[in-house]
Amino acid sequence: MNTIDDFIDLVGEQIGLPVTLADAERPLDQVPGWDSLHLISLLSIMERRTGRPVSLPTVLEAGTLGEIYRLASARDTA
Amino acid sequence: MTSGSELLRLLRSGALPDRYPLVRELVGDLSGDKLAHAGRLLSTLDPDEVLRAHPGTPTTHIAITGHGLVAPLVPTLTGELARHGLLLRSRLSDFDGYIADLADPDSGLYAAGPDLTVCLLDPAVITDDLPVPWNVADAEKALDERMTVVEGLAARFAATARGTLLLNTIPLPRRLTTQLLDHRSRARLGVAWREANARLLRLAERHPPVLVIDLDPLLAEGVPLTDERLDAYAGAHLSAELLAVYAREIGHVARQLAGQTRKVLVLDLDETLWGGILGDDGVEGIQVGEGGRGAAFAAFQRVVKQIGAQGVLLAAVSKNDPEPVRRAFAEHPGMVLREDDFVRISASWRPKHESIAALAGALNLGMDSMVFVDDSAYECGLVRRELPTVAVVQLGEEPAAHAGRLLRDGWFDTRELTGEDHTRLDKYRQELGRQDFLDSFTSIDDYLRELGVVVRLGPVTETEVPRVAQLSLRTNQFNLTTERLQPSDVHALRTDRDALPLAVHAADRFGDNGLVGALFLRRDGARVRIDNFLLSCRVFGRGIEQACLSAVLRRARDTGAAEVLGRYRPTAKNQKVARFYPRCGFAGPDEDGIFRHDLTDIVPPPGHVNLIETFGGPLS
Repeated sequence: MNTIDDFIDLVGEQIGLPVTLADAERPLDQVPGWDSLHLISLLSIMERRTGRPVSLPTVLEAGTLGEIYRLASARDTA
Repeated sequence: MTSGSELLRLLRSGALPDRYPLVRELVGDLSGDKLAHAGRLLSTLDPDEVLRAHPGTPTTHIAITGHGLVAPLVPTLTGELARHGLLLRSRLSDFDGYIADLADPDSGLYAAGPDLTVCLLDPAVITDDLPVPWNVADAEKALDERMTVVEGLAARFAATARGTLLLNTIPLPRRLTTQLLDHRSRARLGVAWREANARLLRLAERHPPVLVIDLDPLLAEGVPLTDERLDAYAGAHLSAELLAVYAREIGHVARQLAGQTRKVLVLDLDETLWGGILGDDGVEGIQVGEGGRGAAFAAFQRVVKQIGAQGVLLAAVSKNDPEPVRRAFAEHPGMVLREDDFVRISASWRPKHESIAALAGALNLGMDSMVFVDDSAYECGLVRRELPTVAVVQLGEEPAAHAGRLLRDGWFDTRELTGEDHTRLDKYRQELGRQDFLDSFTSIDDYLRELGVVVRLGPVTETEVPRVAQLSLRTNQFNLTTERLQPSDVHALRTDRDALPLAVHAADRFGDNGLVGALFLRRDGARVRIDNFLLSCRVFGRGIEQACLSAVLRRARDTGAAEVLGRYRPTAKNQKVARFYPRCGFAGPDEDGIFRHDLTDIVPPPGHVNLIETFGGPLS
């Protein structure tokens, strides 16, 4: 999971939502089919892929898929 | 292509609702992460879209309520139900909504009338009631008070709802016991906690519509109780792994509520019930009994015998010559199972799917009543391909793991056993005896006259309620409307002044068949309606059904009825009885699918049936 494109693909494959790059900066409540429950599923999948823990309370505050991606990959860029 | 990527492809192309019948096959053998993924994908599907494409898809309506966040159960439950060909229609409650849902008889949950209500109980149900700091007396008080509340909710449910309430025991978290520093208090907490869980488990005995699943055996397999972060930040107090194994159990309950309980366990022999190859190693050379692998196979045989003792029919299908197989069962000193434990042992060289099909035909049961167990991937694959509705359990090379594999999927789980379950083997054996007998007769009429059929028709008694409910859940072929009745439904009919549930008992020269059928009558002024008629597939085609119907028609006429109405609702399984009413002199069906008998010309009961009838209630 090295780019936002990988992340959007992951959401599509793992959750089954028809998301595209155009949805990355859309508020989550405007992403078709999005549910906060998906975040819980995604979190454990992302952690397994990156091998690094993500701060759940911080991710729960995220407003867009792009933000979730940046939080999950934060240490990659730090 | 993997199941997951095939599902994703169908989902993305929008073809999934149309291709929904494929889903059962795609997810049937999945577990763990793969099933979780499939469940997530399937849960994005609108059940109404599936039903528009395939209106006959069996659907289970499940309300999920509880103390914490219950939504994470939905994807995993969607996947588990799909494994059994069931479509989930879920109704989720608000966070911590269980008391409002279950205490108020006018709640939305009761109004929705789900088939199954899952009330998810987690340790926070108790820990949220503890003061800070707390001691063991506080915990005892919290447990007692909370259990009193839950007992009240269960009683309210039993008095209010039509479906089933599923509760779970509450596991004791280590994070709680270790907060008490002295061992004496920890032990007391352990006692109080288990007493509370014992109170939960007892609810199943007290209220027929309530089932309680014990989570301890699931946790004992090494599943984490909680995910600390989701517990703290999301109010999801049970881990995804625990929800997944619990959902598998809920799937078994849903399968049973849908009337899909399996009835026959078909076992391979070589490397399944004993080690080695009988044809190669000889009776003395096979491994079963004491020592090494032999002990593991004997242990597996004990488990099989245990299942057989509870109403599941055992059969063996083996590629072997019949004589050595007979000798192995008769002479091998380590053998636990003997020939008498089986309804049939098929040892031959014909393909196994043919032997299974012949067995199903001889027992008059559908393929979907069968569970096939074999260590050979070839045989399992053949049966999966040729008989897709047979459940296949593929064993590995390690016999010590056989029992776990067989029991994992609860194929034979049932709500409660009845007296019939303990004598079923004898009855089916008599049945096979009858069919061999049948072969030697040139005409079935002669056979039936020889059979000496006695039928007793009478109102369902209190003690017959569980068996009548069980029959309504298990019977698929001779079931004119396939309306499933739980014990509480049958009980309600017994006390309904306008209703008359009748039980059908049958016997013949081979023995007593027991309670084999039921008729559900309803009086509506000058009309008598037959709401449903069902008969065990063991006994139909012997004139029992015509005799019972004839008796009902005569009784209706004699008590002043002008007509008797009957209904047939087609399913995939009950085509055999589509013309039952017209053949018995009914007119119709009209546009509502109703058949009518005007009672002017009633066909008498078949001459070979000796009928003993009593009525009561609205037909007295």
